[in-house]
Amino acid sequence: MFRLQDVSLAHANGFVALREIALAARAGEQIAIVGASGAGKTSLLRVLGAALRPSSGQLAVLELDPWAASAVELRRLRARIGVAHQAPPLPPRQRVVTAVLAGRLGSWPWWKGVASLAYPLDIAGAAAALARLDLDERLFDRCDRLSGGQLQRVGVARVLYQQAQLILADEPVSALDPTLARQTLQVLSADAVARGATLVASLHAVDLALSCFPRIVGIRDGRVAFDRPAAAVDAALLRELYASDSGPSPASSASAPGPAPRAAANAAPPGGCWR
Amino acid sequence: MMRRRDPAAPARAAGVLLALLALWPMAVLGEFRPWLLFEAQNLRVIGAFLGGFLPPASGHEFLGYLVQATLETLAIASAGIALAFVVAVPLAIATTQALSISRLGPGPGRRRGDLLRAGLRVLLVVLRGIPELVWALLFVRVFGLGPAAGVLALALTYGGMLAKVYAEILESGEQRPARALLEAGSSRLHALCYGLLPGCAQELTSYTVYRWECALRASVVMGFVGAGGLGQLLDQSMKMLNGGEAASILLTFLMLVLAADGCSSFLRRQLADAGSRQRALAVGPLALAGLVLLVGAVVASFVALDLGLGALLTRAAATSLGDFLVLFFPLDLSPGCLQKVAWGSLETLAISVLGSLLAAVGGALLALPASGRHGPALAQLTRLLLNTLRSVPELVWATLMALAAGLGPFAGILALALHTSGVLGRLFAEALQNAPPTPRDALVEAGAPAAAAFLYGTLPAVTPQLVAYALYRWEINIRMAAILGFVGAGGLGQLLYVELSLFHYAQASTLIAAMLLLSVIVDAASAWLRRRLG
Repeated sequence: MFRLQDVSLAHANGFVALREIALAARAGEQIAIVGASGAGKTSLLRVLGAALRPSSGQLAVLELDPWAASAVELRRLRARIGVAHQAPPLPPRQRVVTAVLAGRLGSWPWWKGVASLAYPLDIAGAAAALARLDLDERLFDRCDRLSGGQLQRVGVARVLYQQAQLILADEPVSALDPTLARQTLQVLSADAVARGATLVASLHAVDLALSCFPRIVGIRDGRVAFDRPAAAVDAALLRELYASDSGPSPASSASAPGPAPRAAANAAPPGGCWR
Repeated sequence: MMRRRDPAAPARAAGVLLALLALWPMAVLGEFRPWLLFEAQNLRVIGAFLGGFLPPASGHEFLGYLVQATLETLAIASAGIALAFVVAVPLAIATTQALSISRLGPGPGRRRGDLLRAGLRVLLVVLRGIPELVWALLFVRVFGLGPAAGVLALALTYGGMLAKVYAEILESGEQRPARALLEAGSSRLHALCYGLLPGCAQELTSYTVYRWECALRASVVMGFVGAGGLGQLLDQSMKMLNGGEAASILLTFLMLVLAADGCSSFLRRQLADAGSRQRALAVGPLALAGLVLLVGAVVASFVALDLGLGALLTRAAATSLGDFLVLFFPLDLSPGCLQKVAWGSLETLAISVLGSLLAAVGGALLALPASGRHGPALAQLTRLLLNTLRSVPELVWATLMALAAGLGPFAGILALALHTSGVLGRLFAEALQNAPPTPRDALVEAGAPAAAAFLYGTLPAVTPQLVAYALYRWEINIRMAAILGFVGAGGLGQLLYVELSLFHYAQASTLIAAMLLLSVIVDAASAWLRRRLG
């Protein structure tokens, strides 16, 4: 499904976000990525989504190296990758139905995309995707009339509608209450299972990651700190992952402040539920 | 689940149908006949005139006049826009809803506040509803021929326009920060500086600088009635059919507008940087130097023009102005006159609508390459084209188009379309560049083709702004369409020109009232459309 080998990423400003990442997944796997803010979770997802070009290392996504492919191949590849964003990049004045239908622009012919602006061409499809998230009554509302949590779920609905083979979710439920967050992750997960798609999600809430995902990857300072089944992740491991004072380089530990201790304290034992 | 339909579709279809139904009679009234451009005789006339453009005049004496006139034009525009700014800022703060304290709650004095705002809005309408050319004619009676009439005409019309657009820019941005400050008991000025300016400063600056460019062009137009500057020179050259001199003057103009463009983008860059660099001072040293330079230039303009504005305040000036004003009343409301005015109004309306619509389409098509979507080389080329289009004033385009398509409203439509597509193309391109990139990028990263990503990711975010810009231009163009008739492009202007040259002041004031009424109606229609489409 995808394979990363020695992948490093340095941003244009010189900040090294990823260092020698090695990670692979088979089709249908479900992986949660955890780690402190600034550890490199989003960068990793963006590299997987063929949105950021790694500075070095080998990368294969859906059996293709995106950066060796032609423009047309890259576009086709990207149409098979769905990304749910923490802050869904939806134009405020766009209607929900249009925002969801935009998920398939990669596979629609151009005329269909244009025609759908005049009259939404797949209202039923958009409504079905939204219904799975209990949002179908907002189908014809404008995005700026939605709350942050509803907007986040519209972003998830777009990915559901896209029917991607690799689903990348970057903090997809950060704006939702615990119950809704769990339900939304279950919908994403069930959808991936039903279609044999791979799901990779970065999550701030460690307990949610441990209870909803069989495989957990811990990221710290741009490196894979651990990669093991959820059952084998214990409190000591997590404390080390989120510890802020023992970073290997002063630069990277300074860039990763934030709520790490709180997150570690919130971490529940594997398989636990929300308090 | 029951089959669902798009609830917005019938309204949309009806809107499109209605728009087409309204456009048809306008096309008839505006004598919209594009094929006239390609008739052999018209081609020959315009060809001969344009042929005279080469080579541009470069005689020693002429260049001296040109430099002097250029400086005078710059001074008129700068002094005029400075006065307009002074007029506009307090009016904008007083009229904008975004800074209304009495609206909180609503609190005490709500009705009084609304009344005051409504009154000021009427004042703004009168200020900008009467074309600057008409103001200039009025002031020429008080101050005689010379730049003072032009400067004051600019101050009044542009003061009204700036105040209105400032107020609307302040309302279109994020209003919550200012609201929170007002709710916390801060004054209007503080709420403006801390709550609204951070979000709006760029757009306000950009609009002000753009208005200064407009003032440059307007001062040329007013030169046609004797207010000095490049316009007077151009008027003489055109009357003598001296293509070479006209070409030199137009080239000078193009360079002026290019310089203003560079100035504008520099200022906006400095503003964008202001927040990102960490220092206590809000503006960089360069911008500060620019600001000092700007103030210096404005002071120099006033000194160089030697306006003698004090004369306006004397009793003699007031009496002569009063005596002159009396000539315009009462209005001529005889049926014959009213009928003439009604037809002229309809023709003017058709010219403004069709011209603005063509310009919006042309501007949108030109904005795509100008925003850099198809590479930097094409962007530069399109920008040059846009600059050329908009640096030539509407009135000059109208004289050229009257040669190319014959006298009549169609020449006016073409003139408005050409000039305005230059203006709108630039504004549209800026809006496209300022649009948030993430929605589009996300679609591209999901495999959408570039065009589809633009339609779904960029367009929804910028459409209200594009529509608002086009509608603002329509409000300006209705006033322009009213005076294009001075050079034979139909509408109310043609009638006003005749009545004024016959000293029929009563009829003239009916026509001016009709212009005012038209611009009020168009303002209202434009505001309604902006609300509906925004």
